[in-house]
Amino acid sequence: MTINPHTPPVAVCGVSKSFGASRALLDVSLTIPKGRSRALVGRNGAGKSTLISIITGIVMPDTGTVQFADARGQSRIECVYQRSTLVPGLTAAENVMLNNYPRRLGLVDWGRTRAAGRDILAEWNCAHVADQPAEKLAPVERKIVEICRALSRNPGVLLLDEPTAGLDYAGAQHLFERIRQAQERQVSIIYVSHHLEEVFDVCDDTTVLRDGQVVLDRDLSGMNMRDLVEAMVGEAAAADEVATPPAVPPIARPSLRVSSLHIGERVKNVDLELRPGECLGLAGLEGAGHMQVAQAVCGLQAADSGVFEVGDHRIERLTVPRSIAAGIGFIPEDRHDGGYVPAMSVAENATMPIMRKLRGPFGAVRRLLREQKYRELSGEWAIKCDGPDQPVEELSGGNQQKVVLARAMSSNPSTIVLMNPTAGVDIAAKRSIYQTVKASAEKGRGVLIASADDEDFSICHRVIVMFRGKIHRELVAPFTGHELALAIQGE
Amino acid sequence: MAMNVESGEGSMSIAKPVSSGLSAVYRRNLQGLALVPAIIALTIVGAMINPAFLTTGNLFENILGFSSALGVLVIAESIILIGGNIDLSLQSTVGFSVVLFCFLTGGGDSGGPGLGWTPLPAASATLVVAICIGLFNGFIVSVLKLNAFIVTLAMLILLQGLTLGISNGQTYTNVPEAILFLGTGQILGIPVQALIFIGAFLIAGLFMAYMPTGRAIYALGGNPTAAFAAGIKTGRLTIGLFVFGSLMAVVAGVLLLSQVASAPPNLGANIIFTVFAAAVLGGIDLNGGRGSIVGAALGVLMLSIIQNILILSSVPSFWIDAVYGAIIVATLTVGRLPMLRRRFMRPR
Repeated sequence: MTINPHTPPVAVCGVSKSFGASRALLDVSLTIPKGRSRALVGRNGAGKSTLISIITGIVMPDTGTVQFADARGQSRIECVYQRSTLVPGLTAAENVMLNNYPRRLGLVDWGRTRAAGRDILAEWNCAHVADQPAEKLAPVERKIVEICRALSRNPGVLLLDEPTAGLDYAGAQHLFERIRQAQERQVSIIYVSHHLEEVFDVCDDTTVLRDGQVVLDRDLSGMNMRDLVEAMVGEAAAADEVATPPAVPPIARPSLRVSSLHIGERVKNVDLELRPGECLGLAGLEGAGHMQVAQAVCGLQAADSGVFEVGDHRIERLTVPRSIAAGIGFIPEDRHDGGYVPAMSVAENATMPIMRKLRGPFGAVRRLLREQKYRELSGEWAIKCDGPDQPVEELSGGNQQKVVLARAMSSNPSTIVLMNPTAGVDIAAKRSIYQTVKASAEKGRGVLIASADDEDFSICHRVIVMFRGKIHRELVAPFTGHELALAIQGE
Repeated sequence: MAMNVESGEGSMSIAKPVSSGLSAVYRRNLQGLALVPAIIALTIVGAMINPAFLTTGNLFENILGFSSALGVLVIAESIILIGGNIDLSLQSTVGFSVVLFCFLTGGGDSGGPGLGWTPLPAASATLVVAICIGLFNGFIVSVLKLNAFIVTLAMLILLQGLTLGISNGQTYTNVPEAILFLGTGQILGIPVQALIFIGAFLIAGLFMAYMPTGRAIYALGGNPTAAFAAGIKTGRLTIGLFVFGSLMAVVAGVLLLSQVASAPPNLGANIIFTVFAAAVLGGIDLNGGRGSIVGAALGVLMLSIIQNILILSSVPSFWIDAVYGAIIVATLTVGRLPMLRRRFMRPR
């Protein structure tokens, strides 16, 4: 190659980026020397996604530059995202050559395409999958095919975003071998992951982001997970985050009890108890099973086995209507997906589960009754809108989330289950949501919070941390942000 | 309450400004009435072209009465579309149910082959068959998760074939008296068909706007996952939509039968295109969750008026369909122009 060996394939210099009033990145610099791999880590909201978008050119930085060593014939950067980009129906070899097909007389030469794809796969000891259709590949094979495709375009840098999501341990190890193989060929790698132990398996260097700034930039030798967690969480923040929930609720009968819950390979033998007035957190890395447990409690996810006891009711097969009837209110993991109906009014969305209780003569929904109920709920959650008739799609993210929260409370549940309750809402809305949830617990409701945002656990009395489908640790308040972050990593 | 004030102030500065005032009120409450100006304009044009246009006979009998079958089908299709689904097979359920009834009661001089049943069991059997068609469509779409478009297209072809098969391609003339009354009868001087048209839209409009099931259908079409998470039994509701559609197709079939007073095997042929044109003109969103029954009613009204004016005017009969189609395309395009302007005003 003609490239100057001293020029790093990618250099990010002094990049800052703000979205409106919120600052996403401030003066971020990083370089990746040839053939080295660098981990990019940070908690949710630290600015990783923004930095990735800037490096890949999707977002322009406000200030600063991203420079690539521009070698002839080399594409600058190739990305392998968490979500598969393989085309189903095409074979692995055809997918490797996607949009890069050899032609004859202007037509795609499928014979040569397959041969070339097979050759590339063979370099990575994967020729045996070449003729299999993409949808029949195992998860790890799919990832490897995507990596092969990215590398066949000769990038200076390969960006891997959560590549082990959906892979089991053996699959992940298999993938790491391939990544090391790529490194030996002088490809530089940016590795983005929440799983810190993988970072130590794969990477040479690390950049840790916190609140949009680089707080650590060094090689990983001599470091351990504790050091990384410390950098991610931060000294000052960790001290602040010592959870101080108002009061330990008096001993009472549990309002919710889950015993021996199994969901496929994702949740194994989970038991938990929630008392009235208690905030219980469910934490874990993505895929650790904590979100599935919360979904099972709401009836959104069918359990293979397990018993749910809500108050005095024992329920074997929980469905959404049954869980609502038993006194469980919930907000789903993604408000856009399962939270609200965009074209419908805030009042209708907030009262949707209790529509049938607002009926008047002829069985029609009584508008006045609905608005009255909505006003009670909107007062509690401080929803900002033009009026009960405004469609939810016109509200800001924080207010949309409050409508979804109000919907969870409309049936006056004894237990509320909140999944990612503050995802994508601004700080003010976040505070307001915390206050209302705390107030709701003080009134005697049991609250179960499953979240990817550690800050959500600051209002919890207890946090159950799951790791690879099992209960790994239980933290009782007060606990520090460090303790929580380490437990989530499986320490 | 103190907490509300406090947090309210916090989020005030960041809360996205939302449009309010007259435009928002119009958008929310009068959206369904968008066709009213066009209908008024068409009425004026009609009155100028032919003085016969503005007579009560023409308005009630030809405009409202003749489109009652279309109206009933538009109600069925609009509700299915609002629920996020689609049913093309309504068109052949119209002809199939009528021909099946005539086949069951037919024989002798009925005009086609028949079994000679008495009307009551024949009518019950026809309804059961229609319910089964809806159940089958709903089951395939909701449980087997096949695409509704292709499933109901296949059903359309199948039922069309069955209609030809059982009737041997012949036209039945054994139409019961009661049904003929529907076509020609009047109550208080108003044609029964026109009353059915008005009544059907009134009931459907109120049902979709105020009944919990109607609102659940909006939720189902607007965001099925959210509807499911709100405790709505989405699978059952989807199947119910298709069964409702089939039953309404039977009603439409009876209304058509009463108009033509005979049951040819191609009864209702091609009507599905007009059904979709009316629904979309009336503001029903093909993606589900948006649109109102009032709008759909105006869509039907507008198409009937156009058709009526074309017949009354001196457009050569072979050109009527072409002119009709061109007007539908033009109306749809004009309806979208404001959106186009918005896109250019706010460049990305």
